[in-house]
Amino acid sequence: MMICSECGHKNRIGMLYCEECGRTLKPSPVDTTEDIVAVAAQEVPQPVVPYRKLAVTPPELKIRGTAHLNDNSWLMFNFGDGEKTLDVKPARRLIFGRADNTSPLKPDVDLSPYGALEKGVSRHHAVLELKEDTLVLSDAGSSNGTYLNGQRLAPNQPRVLRDGDEVKFGKLVAHIHFK
Amino acid sequence: MDVPFDPYTILGISRSATDDEIRKAYRRLAQRLHPDKNPNNLGAEMQFRDVNLAHNLLTDPISKRDYDLFIGADNHQDTYFTLRVTPSKRAVLDLPEEQVIYLLAEIFPAPQVGEGQRKETHVNLTLVLDISNSMKGSRMERVKIAAQRLVEDLSPEDVISVVVFNDRAAVIIPATNPTDKPSLRARISMIAPSGGTEIYQGLVAGVQQNRAFSDTKRINSVILLTDGHTFGDQENCLTLAKQAVEQGIVISAMGLGSDWNDEFLDKLASTTGGATSYINSADMVLRFFHDHVRTLSNAFAERLQITIAPDPDIRLEMAFRLSPNPQPLLIDDHVIPLSSLQANRPISLLLQFTLPPGMQKAFRTVARLVVSGDIMQNRRPHFKAVSDVSLEVTDRVQNDEPPTAIMEALSKLTLYRLQEKAREALEKGNIEEATKRLNNLATRLLEMGQTELAQATLSEAQRVAQTRALSAQGKMTIKYQTRALVSPLDLDTALTNYIATNDP
Repeated sequence: MMICSECGHKNRIGMLYCEECGRTLKPSPVDTTEDIVAVAAQEVPQPVVPYRKLAVTPPELKIRGTAHLNDNSWLMFNFGDGEKTLDVKPARRLIFGRADNTSPLKPDVDLSPYGALEKGVSRHHAVLELKEDTLVLSDAGSSNGTYLNGQRLAPNQPRVLRDGDEVKFGKLVAHIHFK
Repeated sequence: MDVPFDPYTILGISRSATDDEIRKAYRRLAQRLHPDKNPNNLGAEMQFRDVNLAHNLLTDPISKRDYDLFIGADNHQDTYFTLRVTPSKRAVLDLPEEQVIYLLAEIFPAPQVGEGQRKETHVNLTLVLDISNSMKGSRMERVKIAAQRLVEDLSPEDVISVVVFNDRAAVIIPATNPTDKPSLRARISMIAPSGGTEIYQGLVAGVQQNRAFSDTKRINSVILLTDGHTFGDQENCLTLAKQAVEQGIVISAMGLGSDWNDEFLDKLASTTGGATSYINSADMVLRFFHDHVRTLSNAFAERLQITIAPDPDIRLEMAFRLSPNPQPLLIDDHVIPLSSLQANRPISLLLQFTLPPGMQKAFRTVARLVVSGDIMQNRRPHFKAVSDVSLEVTDRVQNDEPPTAIMEALSKLTLYRLQEKAREALEKGNIEEATKRLNNLATRLLEMGQTELAQATLSEAQRVAQTRALSAQGKMTIKYQTRALVSPLDLDTALTNYIATNDP
């Protein structure tokens, strides 16, 4: 339950506005059981017993990696089970895909050595752009889709890429590390 | 071989999929959509049928080759509309309690459609006008003038019919091309009000007239305009509406004044994918007719519907069309008619689902959404767009902000729901609760800068505290104005209406 800090109404987790008073339900800074209870404790006098403790997550620990890239950072792509890696120097715009002799369009980053063909990578699969110090990834209208942390990207809808993210080109899985 | 859909899209696989991939995709979907697992879900049943058809086609080598060589090649080039689904969260915690997730589903016309759609779609329009005693006087006269002006604006290839009703119905203008406009205007001018209100009578005659010209070249629309309550024939009306939508006829309702049954008209319109409008003053009827016809002539796909198949442990709680024409949708059988798609404006829906307690940590599917529609001029029947929605269940905390589009839509929709909840409390006789909710609503409206509506809501809250009831006009104003807030474009129209009707 998420307890509205304004009116005390109990809303189900995932609701974004209080059903009772219409105010925004602010997710606590770190959305753990402890924090939810902490809010509850201020509003409701009777003690609330936490039903469950989540795995230790100290607030300072970053769950998703940073989105900020240093000037001289490189990107490491870790394919599949980690046997193969690829280092990429970020540039303003990089096209990821599969080089193909029948097509004059060459990707900037060729994924063929990592099993691109069998894994359904398109010739022009995804675009990685550097915007100031953040990287944004978008699908270039590929046949089998680009996935960021398991979610399929809509074509040409950029999303911020973070350290430690998982990217899937079709069925080709890569873990990204900033270094 | 007539294949009204793309089997690869239906199975969610690429065109180069191997037999093994086809089989696996089929198994996965068939398991999720099987009727045994989804009782009372017509949406899942329809999707299951499609998945079976697609599987049968792709596992028969000859049909598959035929499809790939002939039909598929064409299909591949032509995308008429796309479906984009954004969840409120991409990852949820594996909690031992129920959770809520929202999906924003947007149906976009394909870009080339806008360019190729210079030519307007012709309309097949039926007006079903209430001429009961309560319409007497200037109200009737203004509606007649609006109808005459509407006839004037139609092109010779459109079709118009006019039906009037009180206790019984009369066809004033049988369905015809508006070529002899003076005589059509003359017939409208002879309308004289009398008697009571029996909507079913009018609706039967109206749908019958509309059906006479129902084809793929024109877009079919019945407008019901009433200012009163109908008694005893509501069920018949809803049955008729269900038949109408199967024939591609959309019924839109206009409630004039404040003494009509909003719940019934909403249900009637939603059954066909149409919308309900609240018209405070007869002066505004013309404007509503105009907007309606303009919207229709922009249509490039009709008989649009979305089927929603949540996974068996997930429940669809609510569906609401945000734009165009905000309208609560009926979710009973998981098949939701959406009337037509305009070439220049996407349709957006907000869906609310309940996730079960104790989900396994893994990536999992949530629901499969399929939008289908007929492209006008018979260019492509049953075009389909599919989206399979999945998310991650994890024990790791996610601090992602929900997408702005969802936050914005939901902030407005929450107000509409508050209004509903205030009315529910009032019906149960809980005056205190109703007053509190109306006051909350007024506060939120003020924060949003909707001063006039906030004031109207505040004075209704006071009225409820004193008289235990909302005023008829206040009830309608709060309901339909908060609803209009959901879509900025429609709000513009509604506000003009509000200001115009409140000028002394």
